[in-house]
Order: sequence, then C-alpha cells, then structure tokens
Amino acid sequence: MATEDTTSKDSLGHIFASLLLRLWLGVRALQTGIEKYAGSVSSSEPVKVAGEAYDDDLVETVSSKAYSMDNYSGIPASLKSTFAGEPLLPAWGLKIFDVVLGPALILLGLTILLGIASRVSLFALGLIYVGLTFGLILIKQDAGVAWLGIHVIMIAMALAWSEHNRFSILKKW
Amino acid sequence: MMDRREFLKRSSIASAGLVLGAPSALAQGGSKNGKINVALVGMGKQGRVLFEAMSNIPGLHFQAVCDIWDYNRKGGFGKVRALQGHEPNLYIDIEEMLEKEKDLDVAIIATPDFWHSPHTVQCLDAGLNVYCEKMMSNTIDGARDMVHAMERSGKLCQIGHQRRSNPRYTYTLDHLINHNKICGQIVNVNGQWNRAVSSSQDIQVNPKLSIDPERLKKYGFDNMHQFMNWRFYRDLSGGPISDLGAHQLDVFNWFLGCQPKSVYASGGNDFFTEREHFDNVMAIFEYDAPQGPVRAFYQVLTTTSSGGGFYESFMGTEGTVKISEMSSASAIYRENSAPSWEDLVKDGYLNKKPAPAPPPSSDGVASYESAAPEIFALPGELTKMPHQPHLENFFATVRGEETLNCDARHAFESEAPIFWVNPSALQKQRIVFEPSQLSV
Repeated sequence: MATEDTTSKDSLGHIFASLLLRLWLGVRALQTGIEKYAGSVSSSEPVKVAGEAYDDDLVETVSSKAYSMDNYSGIPASLKSTFAGEPLLPAWGLKIFDVVLGPALILLGLTILLGIASRVSLFALGLIYVGLTFGLILIKQDAGVAWLGIHVIMIAMALAWSEHNRFSILKKW
Repeated sequence: MMDRREFLKRSSIASAGLVLGAPSALAQGGSKNGKINVALVGMGKQGRVLFEAMSNIPGLHFQAVCDIWDYNRKGGFGKVRALQGHEPNLYIDIEEMLEKEKDLDVAIIATPDFWHSPHTVQCLDAGLNVYCEKMMSNTIDGARDMVHAMERSGKLCQIGHQRRSNPRYTYTLDHLINHNKICGQIVNVNGQWNRAVSSSQDIQVNPKLSIDPERLKKYGFDNMHQFMNWRFYRDLSGGPISDLGAHQLDVFNWFLGCQPKSVYASGGNDFFTEREHFDNVMAIFEYDAPQGPVRAFYQVLTTTSSGGGFYESFMGTEGTVKISEMSSASAIYRENSAPSWEDLVKDGYLNKKPAPAPPPSSDGVASYESAAPEIFALPGELTKMPHQPHLENFFATVRGEETLNCDARHAFESEAPIFWVNPSALQKQRIVFEPSQLSV
C-alpha cells in the first residue's frame, strides 16, 4: 500500500536523521575534548638546501602537533584571565569547569557515539553548552553564543527524534 | 675530497676577501695548558657583549682583564670568576699587562676606537693574536698601522665585522646572490641604521665612580663625560657613520666584492647641536662592481628609530634581498617579471611567505603602481649570539683549524671608504677615490 510505503520511508529517514545527528554531536564533543590535550613539539635542525646541511649554526625550527596530558587546558589561557575579572563567575567555578570540561566532552562524545544512555548523554552535553554560553555572554562573545546556540538546537533535535534512535548499546535513559 | 658543504663554507670565506691578497691563515697553536689564554682589554659595554659570546666557546682561559676604569675592571673580574671559578689578573695599563703576562695567546680588544690601533699594534708586536672590535681606528692611518703590524708580526688580527661569520649572511651571499643569482643584476643597494633619540642620549655616571683626572688625562680623556661618551668626539671616534655604519657598509663592499669609486655625503648636527660628530648622515656610494654599476645609499640616524631599524637591502632586476642581523627585518622580494622561484622553494633555498594583500581598489594612483612582488624568507635562524660565530672563527684559526673571515687587511679594504664619508659631508663635495686613499 502507498500509505505503508510512505510510513516506512519516513521511518528510515528519521532513523538516518537521528543517527547522523548523534554521530555529528558525538564526534564534535569527542574531538573537542581531545583537542584540549593538544600542543606543539618543536625540534631544530640545520637548514638543508638540495638535501645537504649548510651550517650547524643556521637552524630551522620545525613544529609539529602532539597530544599529552601535560598540554591539557580546559579553558584556553587567553580566556582564563578574562573570566577571572568576572564577578558573576566565582574562581572555584572556573577551576572546576577548567578541570572537568575536557574529560567530560570526551566521555559524553563516546557515550553519544556508542549509544550509551543517549538521551541522558545528549542532555548532559546540552548542559555543558549552556554553561559555556553563560561564560561567553559574560565576556560579550556574541558570535560564540550564537554558535553554541546552534549546537543546543541540534541536541534538542536529536532528543526529539530519540524514538528513532537505533544502533545503541544501552537504550535505557 | 671536498664535499659541497665544505666548498660552500670555503667559498664564503674566500669571498670575505675583497680585492687584495688572501686572508692570513697561520696555524698558531694553543698554550701549554691546552687552552687559549685570553686577555680582555676593555670591559665596557662592548667588552661585556664579547665576553658573553665567548663564554659559550670551550677551551678558553680568561687570564687577564685590563681596563682603566675600576668599575669595568671589577665587573670583568666578577664575570670571569663566576664563569671559570678562578680570579683573573687585573691591570689598568696594557703595557704593564703585556710585560707581566708572558703566556698570553690572545687579546680581545674592545676599547674606545682611538685606542684600537695602538692597543692592537702593541699586542701583535708582543706576539699575541688579536680580535679587535670595529671600526679599526678613528683614523685611516691608525687602521693602516694595524695591517702593517699584523703582517710584520705574522700573528692573526681579526676585526669585529661579525656579519662575515653569520651563516645567514654567508648563506645569502653564497646561495642566493652568487650561486642562484636571485637578484639578477644588482643596481642599487640601500641600507640604514635608524636609532631612537632616547637611545642616543649622553651617558651619565655616578660621580662616586669617576676615574681620577690624572688617569683620565694619561689615557686621552679630558673628563669623565668624554670617557663615557667618547663616540661623540672627533679625536676619539669616527662618529655614527663609523660606529653604526661600519658594519653595514662592510656588508655593501663584501657582497658587491669591491670598493666604491666615489662617495658623496651630507651630515649635520640637526638635533644634538653641541656634539662634534654629525647626528644624522646620508651617503651615496658609486661602484663599478664586477656585475655592473651600482649606486648605494646609506643613512645613519640617531634621532629616529622608525623606518625599519637597521638592515642592508640589495636591489636587483629580478629580486631584492633585504637582510639584517634581526631576522624580523629580513625579507626577499621577487620581481614579477623574474623567472619563477618555485624550484628554489622546493629545494629549500627559500621559504615562501603569504602573498601580500591586494590594493583596496584600482584608482587613478594604483594604476601607476607596479604589482606587489612576491615575498620570501631566508630559511633558518642563527641560534647563537651574533658575535659568537665570528669569535669562534677567530679561535678556530688560532688553533690552525680555519682561516680568518675578516683579517685586518680585508677589513681595511672594506673600511677605507668609510673614513671619507665625514670629509665629504664637511666639504659638501663628492670625493672620487684615488687608489692611495683606499689602499694600505
């Protein structure tokens, strides 16, 4: 029947839409968390022309990206000093956010990707974005606020379509 | 067999010579203690700069410190003791030092310019190898005496034109200008040292630290102000054109491989009206270089720092190399009509910089402008203090391992035209050089 076909196609569309949103939001959170451990490693080596070193004292510095626990910074250093002057943002709150943000994004990214308690995970991620939005409002970063707003809308869509959520490890919650 | 790297290093050293003779290259050997015994003659500001650079060079033993000012002498004493853990012998008078210190190998001379020649000659005649700060002397005859003493004694005499040992400069000359000829035909050279008025003020001293007037007089100074500010006096120095300009005019002559044929200069006491030397000098040199005629402009300002600080710019039909000891002031520009440099970038000779922003709009003025040239950069940085490679070259030559990059004869050939800048400005006349004016 034509009605049954349409229902079937809509259902598949909703499943794909839900899956894509989950994948996007999961990758976004996971990689953002990982990037908080990123830094650069510099090494110096003599300048080479046509494959041969010219002089040991003429040195080129090569920087490459590297990840380590020592590089971790939840809130970028440039923003920390800006936030420090905000009376509505207590120092202890800033410190907790700084410590928790990276691991929380990684954890929630993984649970959303794997489908472990997807609704709770999406809601928790949304709360983090709301928290970040609060900070950006304080320092008048309107573009960042709008950017986070888009993320929250996407989370709301994923939650609204959660009935179409498939390929999950833990469907409960 | 000589590899490419060794060849390039040697060719750079060879090109350090301009037109006459080969650098003195004598295996001089070290001392009985296996180290090179060093006397520090003059421990003022420049003496301390050289000491800091030498502190990174192994195999040196700082045996004596000589300076007429107690403040400098004690400062030198403390620095040597902190570095080596032993106390150097201290002297006020260089003659006394040379008489008592019999196993010195080397003297590092950083005294005021008018003492460079007498001190260098004394040390060379006493059998020491000498590293002497530029400018060689405040008079051309004083510089000639240094060349004669070096050749008479058979000892080494390196003059402190440290850019000659800076690998950024030797690389630029060897690889970019000579080998790859990225400038095409060099037709103009432009250089400057613009120093802020705040950095050009009289140096004051605490009266409690003053030198005894009798001692000052014995060593050629009328008073403590003159001692502290000898660079302002005609009998004691060549003024800003030699004090600052010597480094850069040396690069002009070194890179072009010849001496200029004429100079026309203008100078004045435009701001520091009480000083004997000009505070601002501008000079035009004309060259008949091996690659063609070249006009060079140089200015030294002691009243204004804007305009890019200090650099030397070699401007050719295909490209311009702007080089400075400050890498931030260095850049290389390709003329739009020049052959592509993509292969040079690929082989590592140059680094390409982002393209400059296009002009905001095509208006009546913009239509007369040439298209903006592409910008490139030298690969690499010098990771040592600027004077260190030149001092390392000197000490390696003392050990018989290298040849001097700027011995007194070659330094004289390069410095000789500078002695005629102030006379040209004073006479307000172009000076066309006679061979006798530029030769030893």
